[in-house]
Amino acid sequence: MNRKFQAIVVGAGPAGASAALGMARAGLDVALVERGNFPGEKSMFGGLLHRMTSLEELFPDFWLRAPLERHIAKKGTTFMTAESSFHVQNETTNFSRTPYNGYTCFRPRFDRWLAQEAQKAGATLITRALVEDVIIRGGKVSGIKILREGGILEAPVVIAADGVLSFTALKAGLRRPKFNVGQMAVGVKALIDLPKEVIDDRFGLSGDQGFANEYVGCTGGVRGGGFLYTNYDTVSVGLVLHLGSLRESGKTPYDLMNSFLEQPQLAKLLKGGRLLEYSAHVIPEGGYDMIPELVGDGILVAGDAAAFCNATGVNLEGINLATHSGSLAAKTVIAAHGEKDFSKKGLSRYKALLNDSYVMKDLKAFRHAPHMLHIDRIYQEYPELICSMMEHIYRIDGTPKSSISKLLLRELKEKVGLKNALSDIFTAWRAL
Amino acid sequence: MNIDEIFDYTSFTIDREPHIILDPTVCAGCVQRGCVNSCPARCYSYNETEGSVTFVYDGCLECGTCYIVCDRNAFTRWGYPRGGFGVAFRMT
Repeated sequence: MNRKFQAIVVGAGPAGASAALGMARAGLDVALVERGNFPGEKSMFGGLLHRMTSLEELFPDFWLRAPLERHIAKKGTTFMTAESSFHVQNETTNFSRTPYNGYTCFRPRFDRWLAQEAQKAGATLITRALVEDVIIRGGKVSGIKILREGGILEAPVVIAADGVLSFTALKAGLRRPKFNVGQMAVGVKALIDLPKEVIDDRFGLSGDQGFANEYVGCTGGVRGGGFLYTNYDTVSVGLVLHLGSLRESGKTPYDLMNSFLEQPQLAKLLKGGRLLEYSAHVIPEGGYDMIPELVGDGILVAGDAAAFCNATGVNLEGINLATHSGSLAAKTVIAAHGEKDFSKKGLSRYKALLNDSYVMKDLKAFRHAPHMLHIDRIYQEYPELICSMMEHIYRIDGTPKSSISKLLLRELKEKVGLKNALSDIFTAWRAL
Repeated sequence: MNIDEIFDYTSFTIDREPHIILDPTVCAGCVQRGCVNSCPARCYSYNETEGSVTFVYDGCLECGTCYIVCDRNAFTRWGYPRGGFGVAFRMT
């Protein structure tokens, strides 16, 4: 297969499909290239889709059209030890009104849907096509070579949306050959089936309402955290583990996962559930500091490939940034076709659009958040401190009570050490 | 969850050729072996008597962990399976 297009998108995930959709709707002849049997077959995420304003521009009734599971009505955080947990939660009826604030979904369904929408708009979807090489002529990216029928696809511009490891960006010289292990995490996830009524009862939900919960202290001291998201009649539960810390710990993701699933308070919530699917994927968590070159001659980088992922500790955002960057890449390419300029300079409009959007503004604002997440005591000692303190506060055992401040000081001395606590407060203050 | 039963949970279309190939001479000198503990699918194993690391590609989730944790670039090849092969998520 040898063909010329007006633009090529590598990777039919949320970033790539959004880019292809935007360009196809503007009448460009676009190839959307995917290595899976269908878009979404290789896609994995925790399970939470934040609100995507860029897709709402393309689909004003997004929540009625997209294959979603539940909308997020309730969000919580649980500090956890092997025996105890302390839980805080926010729920508001506002989150059950459209436009919804977030959803759960399955990527093999969602990504496939979005790519089909790009196809309906006129994009050419090419599946089972692994990109073997990037064609560079006269210093300019001018196409790709795919490992399927030895095909060459040519276009004046390529959008690399091929995920966190982006070999397209690597081959075009836009990303460094070696990643920093301290800027990467791996997410592992178990999909567990439970009847809808059981999920509604256990998590206090009704209709299409969903629950999103994050866990701290459930990773055996490894930097990272846990998550639980309710789907329609399944629950996504898993861990995010920072790779530098995981490697050093000598622990395995599946053993940590089993300890998490067996923690007594979590085990109750999942009781009777059967494991349907196990999956894993690397997450770019370095934030602003790990963003590669975003623009080259004839090439743009979007989504995870551009490390557009915001792990602030509260929300874990990725797909919303991916779809937004994909849409901005599309706008850039549409303009570039108008001006017939696909040089690095001509395509630099993409950077300006990104800088003007929440994608870059948020990544800049939380630039130092990853440093705070490197306080190792967050992952064990502090959750232990919180759980132990709350247990003392609630416990009635016939002995006189100490004041909460005395209790906190004693627990802090015992579990963390005062010097460490002060240094952590300082680090957190600087990071945020 | 038993990681040895990964084929009961997750679907794979296994190719004839491995998509990741290790250089045994590089692995032989490695004491860190981050791949062995970090791989979420337990594709890597260490043989103490031979001092060698082996990779079995059948149950690879294509997550990218080994590509990141290996400091010695021990890969003769590190790529994804050919189009249509490898892991196939149904729901996740």
